[in-house]
Amino acid sequence: MYDLSSVLEFDALAQVRPGSSILVSGPAMTGKQQLVYDILADGAREGDGAVVVTTSDKAADVAEEFHDRVPGLEGAQLGVVDCRGEGGADPELIDGVSVHQVSSPGDLTGIGIGITKALEGLHNSGRDRGRLALVSLSTMLTYTDKKTVFKFCHVLSSRLDAAGYVGLFTIDSGAHDEQTIQVIKQAFDGLIDIREATGGGREARVLGLANEPTDWQHI
Amino acid sequence: MSESDPPVVLIVEDEPDVAETYTLWLEGEYEVRMGQNGDEGLELLDETVDVVLLDRMMPGLSGDEVLSQIRERDLGCRVAMVTAVEPDFDILEMGFDAYLSKPIRSGQLHDTVTNLLERSEYDSLLQEYYALVEKQATLEATKSSAELADSDEYEALTEEIAELRDGLSDTLGGIEDDDDFIATLRGLSNGDEE
Repeated sequence: MYDLSSVLEFDALAQVRPGSSILVSGPAMTGKQQLVYDILADGAREGDGAVVVTTSDKAADVAEEFHDRVPGLEGAQLGVVDCRGEGGADPELIDGVSVHQVSSPGDLTGIGIGITKALEGLHNSGRDRGRLALVSLSTMLTYTDKKTVFKFCHVLSSRLDAAGYVGLFTIDSGAHDEQTIQVIKQAFDGLIDIREATGGGREARVLGLANEPTDWQHI
Repeated sequence: MSESDPPVVLIVEDEPDVAETYTLWLEGEYEVRMGQNGDEGLELLDETVDVVLLDRMMPGLSGDEVLSQIRERDLGCRVAMVTAVEPDFDILEMGFDAYLSKPIRSGQLHDTVTNLLERSEYDSLLQEYYALVEKQATLEATKSSAELADSDEYEALTEEIAELRDGLSDTLGGIEDDDDFIATLRGLSNGDEE
C-alpha cells in the first residue's frame, strides 16, 4: 500500500492500492504540479522509485528540484521523461538522473518507450515500488484529441497496475470543457479535485479511492 | 476479422522450405497465404489479412520497405519481423509489432501470432470502451443526477462499461509486457486502431 496522506491529509489517501492511477484536477495556479512532486519526493525519501513525465519543465530542473527535496536522492532512483522536444535523441545522465527525451507531447510511442526505460532502470536498481507523475495531460490534449489521450491514460494505467506503481496525472480543469474532463476521469481509479476556497487558500476532495467521496477540506 | 472465418496469416519469405514449414504449422488454425518476395507479399495483402510474418532479408524489396508500404496503406494488420540476428529495442521503434529470430520453433510462432491477434482484440475493445465512456459522459453532462438515477439507458451503459473494463484487463494480461505496451501506444498514434 502507498500512504499519500502525509502529503495530503485525507484518510482516503492513507492506503492507496499499488497499481492505482489518480487524476489531479484543478484550475491553473492551484499547485497541482507541486502536489504531485511532493507525493513523489515523499515516496523517494522512503526509498520508492520516481518517474516524472514532463511536458513543460526541463529535465535538468526536475532533477535539481528532486535533489533539493530529497537529501541523499540516489540517481538511479529517479527517471525523467522530457517531452518538450528540445533535447537530443540519446538518453543522458543529468546529476546522475537518467533522462529520456521525447520529440513532442504528442509522441505517445516515444513517451511509452521513455517510461519503459525509466521503469526498467528503477527495476534494475532493485526498486519494486514507485510513483509516476505525468505533468500535464492538458498539454497532451493540445497535441492529440481526447479519444487518444483517454486511451493513452487507460493503457498507461494498466501498465502501472502491472508494475505495482502509483500514477498521478495532472489536468487543468479550466482549460477543457466539462465533457472532456468527464471522459478523461474514467481512465482513472481515483480523483483528487482541487479548487480555490472562498475566502482564500485552496481546498481539495478525494473521489473514487474510498467508498464515499470525501468532503472539501482546506489544504 | 469476422467471427466465423479463421484469422488470415500472410507469410512473406524467400526460402520455399522455410515458408512451407511455417504454413504446415499454422494451416490448421489459420488461413495461410504465401508470398516469395516483397512484391508478391504486397499483392496478396488486403484488409482481410490479420498478421504478416515478414522476412527481413529478402532479394528485391526488403522487409523494412514492405513494412513502410503496409503502414502507408493503413490496413491495420500486425507485422512480425523474422530475422536472423537478435534485434534490439529499436525494432519496435521502427514500427514492427514483434520480431522472431531464426530458427523459429512451432510453439514460438503460434505464441507470436496469438499475441498479435490478442493485441488487435485489445484495440477494438478499447475503441468500444471509449465510445461507451463518451456516451456516458454526454448523458452525465446533460441530465441531472435524479434523471440519471431513473434512466434505464444510463444503468445499462454503466453495466456495459464495467464489463468492458474487466474484458480489457483480461486481455494481454492487462498490458504487463513492455512490447505489448509500446505496440498498443503506437497503434493509438497511428490512429489505425479502428
